[in-house]
Amino acid sequence: MKELVCIVCPRGCTMTLEGEGKDVKVSGNSCKRGAEFAVSEMTEPKRTICTTVKTAFPDVPVLPVRVSKEIPKDKIFDVMAEINKVTVEKRIKRGEPIIKDVLGLGADIIATSGVLDE
Amino acid sequence: MKKNYDVIVIGGGPAGLAAAIKAHDSGKAVLLVERENRLGGILKQCIHDGFGLVRFKEKLSGPEYAERFIDEFYEKKIDYSVLTFVTRIEKKENGFAVTLVSRDGVTTVGANSLVFATGCRERTAKQVAIHGTRPAGVFTAGTAQHFTNLLGELPTKKCVILGSGDIGLIMARRLTLEGAEVVGVYEAKPTPSGLTRNIHQCLHDYNIPLYLSHTVTRVFGADRLTAVEISEVDDKMNPIAGTEQIVECDALILSVGLIPENELAEGLGVKIDPRTKGPAVNGQLMTSIDGVFSCGNALHVNDLVDYVSESGETAGENAAAYEKKERREIDLTASGEFLYVVPQKLDLNRDNSRTTVYFRSREILDKCVFKIKKDGQEVFKKKYPFLRPPEMEKLVIDFDSFKLDESSELKLEIEVNAE
Amino acid sequence: MNLKKVNRKLEKRFGSAAHASFHDGMITVTGHLPKWSDVVEACSSAATKYSKVHVVNDIVCDEVKEQPMRMPKITDKSLDGETPDVLIIGGGISGVSIARELSKWKLDILLVEKEADLALQASGRNDGEVHPGVDLSKGSMKHYYIRKGNEMYDEVCRELDVPFKRVGQYVCFDKTWLKPAIALYCLWRRKHDGISDTELISGEELHRREPNLGENFKFAISNPSSGCVCPYGLTIAYAENAVMNGARVALNTAVTGMQVENGKIVSVSTNRGTIHPKIVINAAGVFAEDIAKMADDRFFSIHPRRGTNSILDKKAGAFMHSIASVVGLNFGKNHSKGGGILHTVHDNLLLGPDAVETFEKENTETRKESIQTVFTKQKKTMPTVSERDIITYFTGVRAPTFEEDFIIEKGRKTENIIHCAGIQSPGLTTAPAVALDIEKMAVEMLTKNAPVAKNSGYNPIRHGVPVLREMSDEERNKLIKENPDYGVIICRCEEISKGEILDALKSPICVPTVDGIKKRIRPGMGRCQGGFCSPLVTKIIAEYLGVPISEVKKSSEDSVITFGKTK
Repeated sequence: MKELVCIVCPRGCTMTLEGEGKDVKVSGNSCKRGAEFAVSEMTEPKRTICTTVKTAFPDVPVLPVRVSKEIPKDKIFDVMAEINKVTVEKRIKRGEPIIKDVLGLGADIIATSGVLDE
Repeated sequence: MKKNYDVIVIGGGPAGLAAAIKAHDSGKAVLLVERENRLGGILKQCIHDGFGLVRFKEKLSGPEYAERFIDEFYEKKIDYSVLTFVTRIEKKENGFAVTLVSRDGVTTVGANSLVFATGCRERTAKQVAIHGTRPAGVFTAGTAQHFTNLLGELPTKKCVILGSGDIGLIMARRLTLEGAEVVGVYEAKPTPSGLTRNIHQCLHDYNIPLYLSHTVTRVFGADRLTAVEISEVDDKMNPIAGTEQIVECDALILSVGLIPENELAEGLGVKIDPRTKGPAVNGQLMTSIDGVFSCGNALHVNDLVDYVSESGETAGENAAAYEKKERREIDLTASGEFLYVVPQKLDLNRDNSRTTVYFRSREILDKCVFKIKKDGQEVFKKKYPFLRPPEMEKLVIDFDSFKLDESSELKLEIEVNAE
Repeated sequence: MNLKKVNRKLEKRFGSAAHASFHDGMITVTGHLPKWSDVVEACSSAATKYSKVHVVNDIVCDEVKEQPMRMPKITDKSLDGETPDVLIIGGGISGVSIARELSKWKLDILLVEKEADLALQASGRNDGEVHPGVDLSKGSMKHYYIRKGNEMYDEVCRELDVPFKRVGQYVCFDKTWLKPAIALYCLWRRKHDGISDTELISGEELHRREPNLGENFKFAISNPSSGCVCPYGLTIAYAENAVMNGARVALNTAVTGMQVENGKIVSVSTNRGTIHPKIVINAAGVFAEDIAKMADDRFFSIHPRRGTNSILDKKAGAFMHSIASVVGLNFGKNHSKGGGILHTVHDNLLLGPDAVETFEKENTETRKESIQTVFTKQKKTMPTVSERDIITYFTGVRAPTFEEDFIIEKGRKTENIIHCAGIQSPGLTTAPAVALDIEKMAVEMLTKNAPVAKNSGYNPIRHGVPVLREMSDEERNKLIKENPDYGVIICRCEEISKGEILDALKSPICVPTVDGIKKRIRPGMGRCQGGFCSPLVTKIIAEYLGVPISEVKKSSEDSVITFGKTK
């Protein structure tokens, strides 16, 4: 038996997990997404990264970005290192990718603000 | 900018944007005033995700959430003025005269009603009685966030965070991602102040320790901060002598609470509820001054932006519909288990059939029943498996169905450990 | 002074561990004591209040650790070989007011200050009260200067464009039976000591003027001539006016030694090189004794006394509009413990200061106990004051002598030095008057060698940075039209615009740090304490200087704000 706090939504349910791997039985969750999170946590925990990327524009020295989909938790710092290599030199729009398929993880690094486009 | 508007909204953050859009949708002439150079308020620097789950069923970052409203706001061609500061508001025969300062000079604009969406500010080191020297390197979490996320500057390489409020937790993760070391998060209370999920995804994920019932009692360093003194605290949150330990670090980051900003509203004579530190309002979110509405974190400090927008919409809609009418107000009295309840009053001359009630419990309570009693008789109840102070609860209640009149006594209670 | 009596007292209290002797016109106390409080007690018991025969402390004290003066980080030769007519040591209110008055003369005036800005020690860390002198009796230097200084304030502050308000002071009493004695006391002060505005008012009158003061007050001494000023604002204004008139100010410059030959200072060494002044003015505050020693002219001792003040939110400023304090039975005897309540010139309330003896000259740390002492007492003055309204607090270290009086005189052994030492409360009030006397002494000293001419270009008028929040809409609008940056509010609590910040950066003594700007025009002084505006101010400074943000400092060279770009 293992206890896990769900981080999918602000409710933060405390879930109980019984069994191993994909056959794990989840209780204490209030929704389906909680159960999915629990299974993923047991098999391949994933997280979102939100950070910034350097730009060439002095009025907006950094631009907020995030991964377009969750990436494996143990790749967070590797992805950060990739993001920190890049400089945005065009006035891109919100949602536009800055790095495509970062480290082959299937996720893009996308701009989360249109501040450069204003 | 026109000389007169139906509604002037002060503050261009999520509450103000929602209020302005809603008031505009009611067909009124609206002006939104923002003191910074861009709309979006504090969300501009809240680049983490988790916004909009309630409203959009999506996990958005702060800028994405704000820009959805900003896009709509621009599309609707609502009048606005950024880099514009309200210096004075005067009550006039018909409405208000709002004096604005901007790069264009000083102007006065008239309004029939006002929406205060002025947000909140952070409590500072001196407000939590931190003593010692006055070095560089003492930041509120929001200030550290501004440096990191807007200016791209690293405010610390190795820090201690005091307070487990959400911004502190978010900054612990953020600074770790940017290569800084977070020695620990220290919380004077015996329970965390921030959301449980943030304890997990911001601290546990990054092996950042959380020390409950601990506080920072002193800072050291003549120029830049060099260390802090940490003490354990007793159940009254007073430091226990002999438990002091020195932790070396270059910054102390404070996440020790937010205070609604209502100095402008208070200047007009708006009465403040000492529990929320925001204006006491009725179900329409109208304050003690006719035609003055309040929403968002200026009204009470929210933990979710979704509710900030929601109260903005309520205030905007009612400000648009505002016309002077006699008030017939009764109090919503909350028992001691509540930290606060909003609204604090109901105006029986207005529609109270879909009134949103926001509340927080004072402590962590299990197996609770939220009850409304009219003249001692229970007229409403709702069960909660638990209530936690960091997590605000929201209910929509049809008060009109309770057949209230001026003599009605409305009391809100929480029954604990109910079966 | 009866030395035998002093030594009997010392022996009774400390045995053979402390002994006083008289030579060279001063009383030297020697011995070996464990605690600093013992040293203060021994030296104070050897001293006669207001006497010109000073006690010099040569007691070895176990508690006192070797405490070298904090030095500026910079070392260069930028002042090496300078030969100013006058070298003023210390950029507090004393030093800068002397510099300004001396700038009426055609002289090369150089003021050195070891800190990164002016008024960083006692002059910037006090309550800003302009005192009436009601607690001072004839015969002291403090009394000699207090009325003159007080009366000069309107004109000086007008000339220097510094806000000053005569708000009046009330010393409140809760025991009716004390009234006859206090009435006599006031009469004596008025007739004998020339404190002409002192009068007794009834409890009803007191409460009519200040309704929130303690209900139990039966009567009060009222001194309408009391006022408040921004102490660091005045210090900076004096210095700017001096600079406008040709004086030079060198910050981050510490005096480390002097060469004295035949009773004359021939050179003064600093971290910026060796200076060869004609005369030296010692306005070094807590370090005045150290400077006197370097000049071979040590005839007094300083025993630092710490005091902490709290600043309350402007909302609390509405509780009271003057200066008030409650008095116990020790009125006029002890050093004020717990100070008073003062409505500041910026409409906050200030509470304090307390008074704690310390051997640490530069320790301005705040402590919880100080705040508690002050609030415990001041809740008696005004029950509505609350710790919850605190927005900040700060500690200053006063520089008293054991005689508790000022030393304003030429060197006793060294001929080309003037001491302005032992300056503590009411040193802010007396500074304008003291400066005029020191100006005379210095000119007289210099005239011995060569005639000193008037500075024909002297202009006593200084204009500060415009304060837009206090202007009418019309005036404000006009200024914004001329310079739109005046319309961009950066500090929301104190309503300070970008234009004002840029003006402060262009002021005669530019201190391009966050604290330097804060001291000049107040961004960050409000209730959010810079939470919102400090990144913005930092950025404006960086842009103005053309440097990265990480090179902007809070105050001193090492007080970095950020560590460079995140990526």
